[in-house]
Amino acid sequence: MQCNYCEWRCDLANGKLGLCRMYETAEGGIRERFPHYWSSCIPARIESIPFYHVRPGSRALVIGTMGCNFRCRYCSNAFIAKEDPAVVRERMLRLSPAEVVRKARQMGCAGIVFNVNEPAVSLPSLQELAAEARREGIALGCLTNAYTTEESTELLTSIFSFFNVGLKGMSATFNRDHIGIPGVEPILRNIRRLAAVAHVEVTTPIIESVNDGELDDMARFLADVDPEIPWHVFRLLPEDEMKEARYPSVDRIAAALDAVRVRLPYIYFHNFVGSEWVNTHCPECGTLVIERFSLGCGGDKLKACHCTGGSCPACGHEIRLAGDVAPTWQPAEVRP
Amino acid sequence: MSRAIIDAREWQKAFDLKTGATLAAKGPLDDLVRGVQDRHPYPGDLDAAGNRWVTDTAMDLLERYDPSFVFLTYAQQYFAGRYTPLTEAQWGATIATVYREVERFAALSGFTPVIVGTGDMAPLVAPIDLTHLDGLALCTHWSARYAGLHEPSPADLALLGTLPEIERIVPWQQFVDLLGPCSLDPVLLPKYVLVARAGHMFKTVGGAFRQVRRVPAPAYRIPVSGCPEGVSDSTEVRSTVEKLLGAGRVALIFVEGLGIENFPWSCREIDNGREWYYYETGDAQYLTITTGRHQVFEYPPGYRYFEEDGPGKEFPFSGYFRSVPARTLGADFGGRSIAVGNRSMFMHMAAGADISVECFARNLYNQGTMAVIHRDDKA
Repeated sequence: MQCNYCEWRCDLANGKLGLCRMYETAEGGIRERFPHYWSSCIPARIESIPFYHVRPGSRALVIGTMGCNFRCRYCSNAFIAKEDPAVVRERMLRLSPAEVVRKARQMGCAGIVFNVNEPAVSLPSLQELAAEARREGIALGCLTNAYTTEESTELLTSIFSFFNVGLKGMSATFNRDHIGIPGVEPILRNIRRLAAVAHVEVTTPIIESVNDGELDDMARFLADVDPEIPWHVFRLLPEDEMKEARYPSVDRIAAALDAVRVRLPYIYFHNFVGSEWVNTHCPECGTLVIERFSLGCGGDKLKACHCTGGSCPACGHEIRLAGDVAPTWQPAEVRP
Repeated sequence: MSRAIIDAREWQKAFDLKTGATLAAKGPLDDLVRGVQDRHPYPGDLDAAGNRWVTDTAMDLLERYDPSFVFLTYAQQYFAGRYTPLTEAQWGATIATVYREVERFAALSGFTPVIVGTGDMAPLVAPIDLTHLDGLALCTHWSARYAGLHEPSPADLALLGTLPEIERIVPWQQFVDLLGPCSLDPVLLPKYVLVARAGHMFKTVGGAFRQVRRVPAPAYRIPVSGCPEGVSDSTEVRSTVEKLLGAGRVALIFVEGLGIENFPWSCREIDNGREWYYYETGDAQYLTITTGRHQVFEYPPGYRYFEEDGPGKEFPFSGYFRSVPARTLGADFGGRSIAVGNRSMFMHMAAGADISVECFARNLYNQGTMAVIHRDDKA
């Protein structure tokens, strides 16, 4: 019995569990082993996830499960993504879809975003959650590595309405040696598909001297998909097997990105405190339209949005935004 | 205006601490501070060298700024104890390391040390799952013992009353009556404070997803070394330090995760709260000691912290802090002062020193260091 959720297409016959260890065979089909177990259920600023072009300033409930279909050597969440899910499960939260949605409501979250690990390892639970959230008018988004089959990519589009896809590298060497997959082609295919039907942002973690030479190739590909696709380039602070790796040079990567800005107007460079490359400028006239703070692992945040009705206040160019700017919390002394 | 200098390794930038705006003009202490940060990259919360970093950084800063008051926090053993599976032997070795580092600082600097243990840690017995309530239970800022309960149903209260792991359910007003007043926006406040029994911690939404190994042990009293007789309460430490400062140079040193049971110095035991309430390691305990007043309600247990975390909030590099606390020891002291520690986010607020250097780490992810220069008119 073959699993078709991701491109590994693992053989699950005879009790085998596959790479992610999150599915098994049962009653002639494939079943999720740990439905509705959540590793995370935390309110967060949407910018911190990061989504820079989805309902700026809003709060989202960040959820995640466990397990992953990638084996990134630098994984920041290895204690969730790489551990045996059967062991990790005991410290998870077990919440029904209705409970997750209620928590989102109680904490004033405008959306629910799957983060931490890969949603493809928990799709049946997420389908149920999406149905419940839809009834309550709450949108779902996710971070995904997009190493999904064409069938489950369609499933993703039925569950989530906004995506941040990890495009980690273009070369087969990088993908094989650092991610553990044979090639990037399925990911490129899925980015095209997702961007055609939903809001997509892309994140690329940069390891100096490893994949920084691929920035131009990635920019060309993304510009071909959609010249206004927001692209987050992360200064990777390696963990797990690469914990001792040197931190990438901010200045050198910023200079490399300057060279590709002509292709993509919404390029951001962050994941370090105080980054200057987190603001949005109008692609047409260059006016500063959205200001943010970069707090690194503390998560980025909105400082101010100057858009008028979703457009540049200077030239009227429509700024890529999914959803309105969220109302700001007001302390008691100024609340009407 | 307080200045923040971020060092993200090989990249430094200065900001207005309050607004977060980039500062182009250089302050008189900037070069001194930037040099210290550059020479001392933070090894990480769980790295065994974390406490050595405190001593080394403090000595470097001390030699260049020549302060009379030093505020230090040593926290590596707290992070390691909380999140890594240490054997008793490893835990003992960790305590030995912090002892060595504090002693090394005292010997090298010649400062008179006043050392505060923030409370012992004990193995986690079991979490108390509050995620299935009708209402919303919240734990804030790594608290294990206290949770805020918002909008509970009668069924919630009935259920909680049957759980033996819960020591008490305290109506909010009773809590305020014990340690108040509280002027925080009522919208943010819980209806009840739930108190866990020793060895337990609350499992709530919003909690960190790392496996917790140890939690703060009961700390109705905490150890203090270097305080004269007559000091019996944590609110009295400040005045003691001020008296000592009248006679010489003093270092107020916080050692996290060590209480009466494990404190390696001879000490006095002092009260660390009132009646059933005791401070866990955190901002409230620090502020109580540095201001000499109980400080529970600026950022109280279980409040709806996330409501304030929007675009309008000031002090973006200071976590949940919305202002610089008034009347801290460092702020009131007329001589030069510094603070160094591997407790991030609030140390520069609680100490109030002229110059603070702390790690910039969140949920154990290491992003470098942050220096805060609250004042440079003593330079």
